[in-house]
Amino acid sequence: MKEYFFLQYKLSVRRLKDTNIHPFLGLTLLILGFLGMSLLLFHKTQFAAPIFTLLSLALTSKLSETKRNEFLKICLKRKDYLLVRIIENCCFAMPFLIFLLYKIELIYAIILLLLSMLLSLSNFNSTIHFTIPTPFTKKPFEFIVGFRNTFYLFFIAYGLLFIGISVNNFNLGVFSFLLVFLVIFTYYIKPENEYFVWSFKSTPAQFIKEKIKIAFLFSSAISLPFALILMLFYPENYLIVLVFYTVSHFFLMTVVLAKYAAYPNEIHIPEIIIILFALSFPPLLLLVIPYFYIKATSKLETYLT
Amino acid sequence: MIKVNDLSKKYGSKTVLQHINLDFFPGKIYGIVGENGAGKSTLFRCIAGLESFDGEITSELTPLKNHLGLLLTEPHFFAKITGKEYIQLLCNARNIKLGNIDERNIFDLPLNEYASNYSTGMKKKLAITAILLQENNYFIFDEPFNGVDIQSNIILTEIIHKLRELNKTVIISSHIFSTLNDTCDEIHLLKEGSIIRSAQKDTFKELEMEMKKISIGDRMNQLGLK
Repeated sequence: MKEYFFLQYKLSVRRLKDTNIHPFLGLTLLILGFLGMSLLLFHKTQFAAPIFTLLSLALTSKLSETKRNEFLKICLKRKDYLLVRIIENCCFAMPFLIFLLYKIELIYAIILLLLSMLLSLSNFNSTIHFTIPTPFTKKPFEFIVGFRNTFYLFFIAYGLLFIGISVNNFNLGVFSFLLVFLVIFTYYIKPENEYFVWSFKSTPAQFIKEKIKIAFLFSSAISLPFALILMLFYPENYLIVLVFYTVSHFFLMTVVLAKYAAYPNEIHIPEIIIILFALSFPPLLLLVIPYFYIKATSKLETYLT
Repeated sequence: MIKVNDLSKKYGSKTVLQHINLDFFPGKIYGIVGENGAGKSTLFRCIAGLESFDGEITSELTPLKNHLGLLLTEPHFFAKITGKEYIQLLCNARNIKLGNIDERNIFDLPLNEYASNYSTGMKKKLAITAILLQENNYFIFDEPFNGVDIQSNIILTEIIHKLRELNKTVIISSHIFSTLNDTCDEIHLLKEGSIIRSAQKDTFKELEMEMKKISIGDRMNQLGLK
């Protein structure tokens, strides 16, 4: 059992190293990020404690995946298996638990601890066999897969938009619009297997042009209703909406290009830093876009010529 | 025709393929055999252009990759993409307009379900269907019979015969010699990155015996079973 946890530790360090960050720095950033997000959540809403508890349980439930646990059952004795599951679940819940105790939310802390331990007795399949319908089936995979993974977030975005309109809060409406784009950006974060680039009968330039065209077309299909509703209810702010709409598309183009500039690796720290700079000063996109474009075409050269 | 001329491949200091010279003609089926790690998949990846190498690979139709249907040993599938969408994706990639995919579903696959939930054999059948519908001229099948049920193996053998009739160039690797015996016109034995033997149809039996001898060697005594 000791070996199992040592192996898990080694795997975690490897994962951090894969992101090109020193493990110590990575861990520090993770802790700071967690603390920052938790403080923000508790500052923003009175429902923070239940949301926090649910979030922790949702994360811990990932450890109940059937295949993973069947493998553990094969490797470990029954008693060790149960012990490993309880320790793992408690480790996952620990940061949340400590924060709840810090916030003196004792009831939620106890509920979280008990449910986390109870979850260690459960196994369930995370694979859904039901095929979620999507309007994007005709063109490459990013929106097909992305929409099926995140469709519920669009409902939340619509919810925020309508709340924004009903309480006459234009900023909340804009936030819902930006949330849509943020979700779409995530469709382009992970690089696809090289086979799916190699298969294309096109030059790198044609390949990128097609990817950007589809990204623009499908993102417009999702985001245009938001922009139109905002312009309809806030006609005096139509210019602001148009600016956000245009800039968001430029950022989408940047993310698509950054993905292939880093290909076949994932988007790493250098690309993220460049994007963050551009976010803080959007005119930088005029330099960033051509830079990523040149890098991306050169990376794709290997697979498409 | 595909011509492989003095192909060598290294990963760091490790030589994986050395001085491979092979010609693959249209209307012929070629088998590549060899034990695990002999370099079969690397050879296929080099031909497909997925790996850099020393030497030269030429073909009548260029670029070769745009006319090549490549079946990898373990085809990759996205989560939450249906069988139909997978076929559509690979055909769109080659600018092939498909009609009704269901009518061409020769392996009776559940095309509206997520491909990532398919069994190993079903995944392989889906990948084969997609590359057949891509209308390629050259085909590389890396372990096409692995994990596929007996009925589909029969269909697959017939498909390979049909591809020969259509004057396509087909290269197959397999650990099951009998399937190669049924389908191939020529078999090359790859060992430690080199082609050590090539056999025409009439000498397959000898090659099989030779492979058996190489594979078994002194291993049974080594194992010391009691």
